Amino acid sequence: MDTLLEILNPHFLLRNALYGGLIIGIVAPLVGVYLLARRMVFLGVALPQISTAGVAAAFVWHTYFHGHQSRDVSDFMLALVGSTILTFAVILGLALLERRGRGLGEGRIGMLYAIAGAVTILLLASDRVTEIGVLGLLKGEIIAIPDIELLILFLGYGAILILLTVFHKELVLVTVDREMAISLGKRVLVWDLVLFGIIGVAISLGVLVVGPLVMFGFLIVPPMIAGRSAIGMRNVSIVAALVGAGIALAGFAAAYRLDLPTGPTDVALAGVVLAVVMAWQSMRAFVFRTTVQ
Amino acid sequence: MAEGIVRFQNVALGYDGVPVLEGLAFDVNRGDFLALVGPNGCGKSTILKGMAGILEPLRGCISREIDGSPVRFGYVPQRETIEMVFPLTVFQVALMGTYGRVGPGRPVTQAERELVRGCLDDVGLGDLQRKPFPALSGGQRQRVLIARALAAEPDILVLDEPLSGIDLGAAQVIMDLIERLHRERRLTIVMVSHHLKVLREHQMVREVVWVYEGKLLRGPVATMLAPETVFKMMDAEIG
Repeated sequence: MDTLLEILNPHFLLRNALYGGLIIGIVAPLVGVYLLARRMVFLGVALPQISTAGVAAAFVWHTYFHGHQSRDVSDFMLALVGSTILTFAVILGLALLERRGRGLGEGRIGMLYAIAGAVTILLLASDRVTEIGVLGLLKGEIIAIPDIELLILFLGYGAILILLTVFHKELVLVTVDREMAISLGKRVLVWDLVLFGIIGVAISLGVLVVGPLVMFGFLIVPPMIAGRSAIGMRNVSIVAALVGAGIALAGFAAAYRLDLPTGPTDVALAGVVLAVVMAWQSMRAFVFRTTVQ
Repeated sequence: MAEGIVRFQNVALGYDGVPVLEGLAFDVNRGDFLALVGPNGCGKSTILKGMAGILEPLRGCISREIDGSPVRFGYVPQRETIEMVFPLTVFQVALMGTYGRVGPGRPVTQAERELVRGCLDDVGLGDLQRKPFPALSGGQRQRVLIARALAAEPDILVLDEPLSGIDLGAAQVIMDLIERLHRERRLTIVMVSHHLKVLREHQMVREVVWVYEGKLLRGPVATMLAPETVFKMMDAEIG
């Protein structure tokens, strides 16, 4: 309790890290609901990795032209541009192949994941200083988030939250029944692009702040927990956001108290919550079956 | 004089640029009750999708106009295609039918919600609105999809195999429902079905279109579902 009060204090030294985690904990699951609903979970693993390759490429690019100067806001922007360009290029490529009826082939996405991972490591191997910076990202070390990065995250994720809320019914319709959407005169391609754009921004921005592991964790695990306890996309989204926020807060408190890296603590905690919910549901089903018999 | 509200003019339909059916030329007239029948994979659902605008023609033109306005479709897909990772309630599924009228970013009004409740009452599922859609039986799910199509306030109801995978009793209930909608709402109906016996027993089905070997053969029920025609078509399929 003391830890919780300490980290919630407005003057807490690492408050930006807590706020950043909370923003991602609330909004990333809302995006993840659509990844799960459209059976694109594998894409949720691959895109953060591809985004990280974009960050590494941007850092190496920066080192090549500017040497090992300390990184500031312009570096963050550079990394954001690298992450966004690569993420969107891949999303558009995959969307194009899907539109041509070639599907979101798992093999294709797996191959992209492997290549992105290899490219990231090769880029880092060429530059020791960049390696240290990106390694922190890969490990999910969310310690110091500058005010400007927090502001960009807040604005970007705020826009995503607004878009998901305002266009909820259109996004649900094209997710659940594309054919029905077309027969009703909806422009499915436009809504697909809106959704892929949201996914791209969420991942490229989130990866920059918390790294690929935490990003994937928040995209997928809270919606999985919510899907076991709520009916309907809107209810699942609300529960997923609440679960994500709870995990971000509790994970941060546990990591601070036990001196652990925040990101992996969040993801491990999310896994524990999911396991508890699944065990509880199995037990209830068992008791129900026994009672009926 | 018959008024063609959907007109196929020398249309080729297919996937990935490869035609499945070519040279299609026929009309669906206002007030028609048409059944598309034929062997598996002959292209019945492809025609239905072309009709509803889900599949763009590779060649030719499909016009959809009623009294100078675009035709509104109530599309009822094969219910197996509606797979939900996160189950929706019966009401939420039916509510989707109104989304064509409600502009992007606008909330569904109370009047639209009342309309959806009316549609669910119409198909006899008014008391199951809060149930999860996947928890329903096959026949009940089919009726929810019909209610969803009705919520679109359609001029024409197109149904893709509404009787498949359900028992004969449930199939009769659904055919009775479709007949009632045709009669009371004066809805034009086009449906794909394999249940020749059920089609034969329902007086409202006016015409049958056999789809076989890429061609269409259209005529009244009595002729098209007569044993000799059915044997001929089945021979064509086997042979």
